[in-house]
Amino acid sequence: MEDLASRTIDHAMRLGAEFADLRLESSQGTNIVVMDGKTKTVTAQLSSGCGVRAFIEGAWGFAVTNDISQSSLSAASESAVKMARVAKDRAKVKFRISSAKAQRAVERYRCGTAPSDVPMEDKVFLASSLDRSMRSTDPRIVSTNARYDDFEGERVVANSFGTLVRTRETWTLAACSAWAKSDGIIQRGHDAIGMVGGYELMRTEGALSLGTDAAAQALRLLDSKPAPAGKFVCVLDNKMTGLLAHEAFGHACEADAVLAGASVLEGRVGQKVACSDVTLADDPSIEASFGYFSHDWEGVKADKHVLIEDGVLKGYLHNLESSSRMGTESSGSSRAQTYGSPPIIRMSNTFIAPGDWKKDELMEDTKDGLLIQGSQYGYVEPSKGQFMFKCDEAYAIRHGEVGERYRDASLSGVILEVLNNVTGVADDFMVGDPGYCGKSGQSARTSDGGPHLRVADVVVGGLV
Amino acid sequence: MVDLQYLSALAERTVSMATHAGADRCDVVAADTDTISVDLEKGSVKQANIFSDPGVGVRAFVKGASGFAVCTGFDDAAVSRAAAMAVSLARAGTPDNDFKDLPVARQVRTLPGLYEPRVAEIGPDEVVSMVIEMSDIAGDHNKVTSSNASAAVSVCQVALANSNSFSSAQRMTSVDLVVESVARDGDAMFSGYDGCSGRRLEQGTIERVSTTARDQAVKGLVQTKLETGDYAIIMDPLAAGFVLGNAIGGGLNADSVQRGRSFLAGKLGQVIGSPAVTVYDDPTIEWASGSTSFDGEGVTAARSTLVDKGRLASYLYDSYAAGKESRASTGNSSRGGSVWSYRHPPSISTTNLVVSPGDSSFDEMVRETRSGAYVRATFDYPNLATGEFSGLMMESYVIRDGELGPAIRQSTMGIGIVDMLSRVDMVGKKPRDYFGVQTPPFRISSARIAGSG
Repeated sequence: MEDLASRTIDHAMRLGAEFADLRLESSQGTNIVVMDGKTKTVTAQLSSGCGVRAFIEGAWGFAVTNDISQSSLSAASESAVKMARVAKDRAKVKFRISSAKAQRAVERYRCGTAPSDVPMEDKVFLASSLDRSMRSTDPRIVSTNARYDDFEGERVVANSFGTLVRTRETWTLAACSAWAKSDGIIQRGHDAIGMVGGYELMRTEGALSLGTDAAAQALRLLDSKPAPAGKFVCVLDNKMTGLLAHEAFGHACEADAVLAGASVLEGRVGQKVACSDVTLADDPSIEASFGYFSHDWEGVKADKHVLIEDGVLKGYLHNLESSSRMGTESSGSSRAQTYGSPPIIRMSNTFIAPGDWKKDELMEDTKDGLLIQGSQYGYVEPSKGQFMFKCDEAYAIRHGEVGERYRDASLSGVILEVLNNVTGVADDFMVGDPGYCGKSGQSARTSDGGPHLRVADVVVGGLV
Repeated sequence: MVDLQYLSALAERTVSMATHAGADRCDVVAADTDTISVDLEKGSVKQANIFSDPGVGVRAFVKGASGFAVCTGFDDAAVSRAAAMAVSLARAGTPDNDFKDLPVARQVRTLPGLYEPRVAEIGPDEVVSMVIEMSDIAGDHNKVTSSNASAAVSVCQVALANSNSFSSAQRMTSVDLVVESVARDGDAMFSGYDGCSGRRLEQGTIERVSTTARDQAVKGLVQTKLETGDYAIIMDPLAAGFVLGNAIGGGLNADSVQRGRSFLAGKLGQVIGSPAVTVYDDPTIEWASGSTSFDGEGVTAARSTLVDKGRLASYLYDSYAAGKESRASTGNSSRGGSVWSYRHPPSISTTNLVVSPGDSSFDEMVRETRSGAYVRATFDYPNLATGEFSGLMMESYVIRDGELGPAIRQSTMGIGIVDMLSRVDMVGKKPRDYFGVQTPPFRISSARIAGSG
């Protein structure tokens, strides 16, 4: 693969590219869905191809082929250069990609048991067992969904600076959803676990208890009420703090949004954007986490990036282009969903660092508010400065005591205000809630986390 | 690109391979899609892309259990491996008596309005010109500091064949435009968004979406806060399309209904909306993004009424869910929207979801609203188990005494979907198509808004 990659890059440069790179991939993956005791789908993906990018005078051309023969890769190079020429003729902003140190590496991410070494029947048995564990929890569980995903891939990233990084990546994920019904009310509970690593994850207690955890949540929600609407002091659990870090701030720190003039954080590096107790980071180097990678999809060595330190914005997440245009070094935050997508700036494992409060003291100190637990999803528009995310469960807090249970609370806020409203950061740090983040039509495996966090003046959307 | 005959022959040959390998039933999709897309950032062309994505997806059934395997490209050996693997995966699955059969062979009439030769001729230079035109219009205001645009033009050829001798193929074109304007005034910053998707580019579309994005960005600079309370809400087609696409598309999924997971389970024939609400699914609309001659399993495209003057008339079926009830599929097995994909097994989805227009103009709806909000954009999902919806009013404007006022800062709206449909008291005349949902604006008489005021 490396020879093919080098020849393809050389070809693009000979055709007139100022800079060229590629992602040459070959992968296989499994997806198993078991519903209500029966397999719904057992899917296998065999995929290979290459995405070639060429840069000329401020514009990129990108071409994709599913055929990794030398002739197809050469044709893709030619298409990429041609597209770059088409784009550069109308590019008003001219810049160059700053030369970066060539990276040479062969990486094999830690993997105990390769999923491809596990018989398909065993994976189906695992998903079926998870499904069964939900249904056997309680007769009020009326429907169940268990899912197992794995991925094993070889990726070569090469560029015209001489970078050649070969990565063997394996990741696994399992998820359970349970629907409980009682007195005409239906509620759903869910849980998921995932990591960069092999099938050994599926033998852990965390994986084996997914079904009972999802079922327990669905059952708990049966006696919940719709969340109240209004402004509240909220104590966020570890997962919700992670979602806040990712949605409320992480996306606005992506330098491509800043360059597009579409982030409220543009021009604010060095300014105070959060209370001084808040430190927020994105760290792809946490091994085995779902957001882990050692080199990004441009071949840049990935490292921890502190985005906010003691309340002050320290910088943005960069790729080769944004770092060239903003006069800094790439932070190794460039990722592509597959060879078929151009790499863009993405988060990895995003979190708020622990503080000094004990979680129990933080709760006791909260006279009237809501405890917000478990993350469903969230989204943000950095150009509007607004974000929203939805939790699994919420509880009233009255005089430090946890009370009534609510469901489907949505929390919204303003990027430049929310972290200034933090009134307590606990010391119970946890990172690792796995998920897929969507941006520009691409999906990236990520995780997030943090400690319990207390935030004032959060607008909570509800039905009553 | 290969031609349709080649794709059909490949799909049929692969069906034979899977059958020979032991599949009781199988279907195969062979697809070849070429896409040109261009992204423009802050008024400057940033990237031009060309994608070619040929591949084959094989779904095999053994004793009712399904296995699905994919290979990229059309290499004979890879396709053969995928066929054998799909059968092997099906054997690893659980036998399922609920699976009855795949659609039987029948003649499919190719619908008009799927393929526009002019779109197929569009080259990279023309796509670049499209985004530049969008950006120029979207940026044409002294308060707009950035305009970003992207355009994608695709030509998709697909062939579908199954073990019941069904075999058909179609060509489709697709044009997708997205434009964003960002406006600033002192510390205030707001963005406007618009876009469209269809099988051809209609006259005036570029100007309409770009003007809309620009005007919304500038309008949003003046902001106010709203007190928490109950308000009338006018849903723009952009907001309504996103919410209804998920609520009705997901809530009416017959598989979810049969499993008791949907808030619309057990409500067939019941009133779930006001008499002003009629909704149907129609894959036969010329040039609409979800139109197709046959669905992802080979069922001939036909219109289905889903909500008839407020009464729930039908769920959405594929062959599996239909077989469970010994009824016919509604043709809602999907392999993708405007462009089909071979990479995933088919699943139940709407094609073009249509809300019947009413007789109110947007201005009349605003004029007749004493205290309310106009919600232009929200990107939240309802809880499909409970039907409860609570979402951020990402782009919204206050209405006081029949007048449209400033943008609302940081508010959310909450309402059950059945309540939302039941409280529709005015429906607009002019539909727009967002996210595959053609809907006019409509007014909900009351919903809960959590405000920051």
